[in-house]
Amino acid sequence: MKKKVMSLLLAVTVSMLMLSGCGNAGKTDNGELNVFIWTEYVSEGAIADFQDQYGIKVNVSTYSSNEDMLSKLKSESEGAYDVLLPSDYAVEYLVAQDKLEKLDREELPNLKNIDDSYLDPSYDPGNLYSVPYEGGVACIAVNTSKVDREITSYDDLFDPALEGQIVVLDDTRAVIGMTARSMGYSMNETDRTVLSEIQEKLMSLKQNVRLYDSDSPKSALISGDCAVGMVWSAEIAMAMEENPDIEIVYPSEGAYVFLDNWVVPKGARNYDNAMKFINYMLSADAAKENISEFPYLCPNKKALELMGDDYVSNQAKNVPAEVIKNGEFVKYLDADTLAVYDEMWTKLKE
Amino acid sequence: MPWGYEAMMTRKEKNKRICMAIYCAVVYLFLFLPIAVIVVNSFNATNTKPYMSWKGFTFDWYVKLWSNGSLLEAFGTTVLLAVISTILSTMIGTLGAIGMYKYRFRGKTLIDGLLYIPVVIPEIVLGISLLTIFAKADIPRGMLTLVLAHVSFCIPFVIFNVRARLSGYDLSIEEASMDLGAGRLRTFFEITIPVLMPGITGGALLAFTLSIDDVIISYFVYGQTKTYPLKVMESVKSGVAPDVNALSTLILIVTAVFVVLTQGDLFHRKYTET
Amino acid sequence: MDIERTQKRRIRPDTLSAILMVGPVTLVMVLLVAIPLIYVAAMSFCSIDEFYNVTSDLTMDNYVRLMDADYMRIYARSLFIAFVTTILCILIGYPFSYIIARTKSRRKKVLYMLVIIPFWTNSLIRIYGWRSFLGTNGWLNSLIIALHITDGPIDMLYRNGTTILGMVYCLIPFMILPLYTAIEKLDASLLEASYDLGAHPARTFLEVILPLTSGGIFSGSLMVFIPCLGYFFVSDILGGGNSDMIGNLIERQFQSGNNWPLGAALSIVLILLTLILVKIYQRLGGDMDALGV
Repeated sequence: MKKKVMSLLLAVTVSMLMLSGCGNAGKTDNGELNVFIWTEYVSEGAIADFQDQYGIKVNVSTYSSNEDMLSKLKSESEGAYDVLLPSDYAVEYLVAQDKLEKLDREELPNLKNIDDSYLDPSYDPGNLYSVPYEGGVACIAVNTSKVDREITSYDDLFDPALEGQIVVLDDTRAVIGMTARSMGYSMNETDRTVLSEIQEKLMSLKQNVRLYDSDSPKSALISGDCAVGMVWSAEIAMAMEENPDIEIVYPSEGAYVFLDNWVVPKGARNYDNAMKFINYMLSADAAKENISEFPYLCPNKKALELMGDDYVSNQAKNVPAEVIKNGEFVKYLDADTLAVYDEMWTKLKE
Repeated sequence: MPWGYEAMMTRKEKNKRICMAIYCAVVYLFLFLPIAVIVVNSFNATNTKPYMSWKGFTFDWYVKLWSNGSLLEAFGTTVLLAVISTILSTMIGTLGAIGMYKYRFRGKTLIDGLLYIPVVIPEIVLGISLLTIFAKADIPRGMLTLVLAHVSFCIPFVIFNVRARLSGYDLSIEEASMDLGAGRLRTFFEITIPVLMPGITGGALLAFTLSIDDVIISYFVYGQTKTYPLKVMESVKSGVAPDVNALSTLILIVTAVFVVLTQGDLFHRKYTET
Repeated sequence: MDIERTQKRRIRPDTLSAILMVGPVTLVMVLLVAIPLIYVAAMSFCSIDEFYNVTSDLTMDNYVRLMDADYMRIYARSLFIAFVTTILCILIGYPFSYIIARTKSRRKKVLYMLVIIPFWTNSLIRIYGWRSFLGTNGWLNSLIIALHITDGPIDMLYRNGTTILGMVYCLIPFMILPLYTAIEKLDASLLEASYDLGAHPARTFLEVILPLTSGGIFSGSLMVFIPCLGYFFVSDILGGGNSDMIGNLIERQFQSGNNWPLGAALSIVLILLTLILVKIYQRLGGDMDALGV
């Protein structure tokens, strides 16, 4: 019995030592890289290639919305992550809060691969803190074998005939923003009376929505569980490949446009590795691998050259320039307005 | 003496028994149906998300499983976490249960009350309360916070199991042991612990089971140390890949074999008696 | 810690060994249960600044928001779903536990283990199994169409009903296991006495069996009802996000909602609901220790 107890004690001591090891491991540069990115957005193959080429172990965590990411970032101690992939308005938010490290341009020679039209954005003038990755729009997927009527706009999604047939993004700003666009308002309305009008229309969407899914809405479209979707453009492009009945529709009101960016959060423990990673992701090869797997709008002109005409002429993958021009970016809202949005969202999902 | 429908097996009785058997079979079907889906899908040769439509039979996923480093790593993390938190919570819980049985002290009712909290409060509340306090204390999320969280919700289950055993425990055998010259420590390890062993192992088993399947509490405190349930949660979002199904099937087989082995005597008796 | 001398027991209480034994559990319970919950309670009175950070400006706003009719409806629906889940668990679980607990079959232990084995497979993946099974192109619809029961697939997923199905599936062992224990403990001679005295089986059940197994029903109900309020992933996966419960609301405030004080206030509401249920359970004569064994 004594022996058993002693071995038990030993086991505990060893495990405690291991634990304290884990606890300390992260304090300084540990030769690894902790990236926190969107689900279904960056090719695992590209990340594996980076690991092989640079001998840096990459730990991947994922999120399903900018808000998820910001919340997680806030709850973690500084330095938990080395690379993030926020959208436009989340970059603006992070910059305003002084939560980002400046990027070292010297370390990012591959930035030259990015098309000029995507540089110097309004949310980060001069690209001091961020470089673009991929972008796209939230638009409409229609399964033509299941839906008779023609759908051309966000407004059409509110048609009572579509009861229980739609999958929408599980994303507050996207769904409320779409409703606002369908009424001719901006996606960033703060006026309370306008918001209550939007709210009223939003509630008529409730019975049409079958599923809220941001991570893989294409699954419900491919499986036939949902006939119509208001989802990310590349999800539609992927669904179209699986199910030829699915078509992409760019809403006539102008779509929700986003551009996601690589950034380094303040206090990142592996800054140098982060630079290597971002530079690698800007390379034509990595970008090609990424858009092959997740066909979003690609700011990387060298990668587009590699992809050839099939990709460039595919309207779902390479979103037409005028769609981007007519679309609207989301902006970050003050806490009080966000609370109103959250209230609207709670009512919708109740 | 059994009761109810004994000796006379009238036709009515027989019908009743058949009905009961069918009822049980339906409930078992309900319990095992999703497992059947998992097992079948682990052999599904489909390559495209959401991996649902049947594309033919293959063993590929069982082979590919061994090259899915992150999935295996997560599984290893889960086992390590479960072992560490089981050992810690069993030790702390057993000591605590005995101490609270033997001694009276101020604040005992308070601790008693606190013990019920992890048992009755919904896990999500425990999860967010740990998240907020770890964030406040700026403890980096990872294995350490996972262990702390798991230990905190496993301890009460250990204590209740040991306590159930203690209620029939006569302290005078400890006195007898000490009267015979055994020291306090020796009495503890050679008398008290062996007597309580069934309660301790029961509690430890429960702690292990709770820890290995926990997802809600871990979800709030894991940082980047992903456990197997969290990995599954992630893959549920985008469609559970067949290699996850393959790993689940393997785990199921191992646990089923374990059950058969530990219940070996049962099967043995069945054959010798007939 | 102040140790009092016990009168009843003659073993000399030793302060040191008492501290060694009770100290660790006290430390864990205070640091990892009591303090975090107190902190959550305090946070529920805080507000957030323009960057959604928690600030120490005290306010009742969070609770005022939660008194809103929309939130009330969500509590009501959560309670309703939990209630239906509990009733279904009793209705399905009771006869089942009764049969396997009273069977004379030598396979009794196997029958019992068969209830537990499915729960050693990760719960999320089993829930996902239901999703594959019930989907538009799932097994069930394929079967229905193959048997020509209907022409097209039936939309079964993402409804309140599927959420309840998932809840029942996840939680039914917590009902079956205490019921099994309670029914197995029944004294057969009592039942025989009841039969011998000419009582109708239904009367025997209502007046003898049911009261004697009520402890199992109560603890099972508590162990089904309360977790049901917090299992956010079931309504996420099977409910399609259409039928939020309190658990989903809390999770959202700590994730995308980014409003921790509101989430904290919601948690306090959930704790209060739990405490009321526990009080009812104790009133009904429930044994608290029975919940954890």
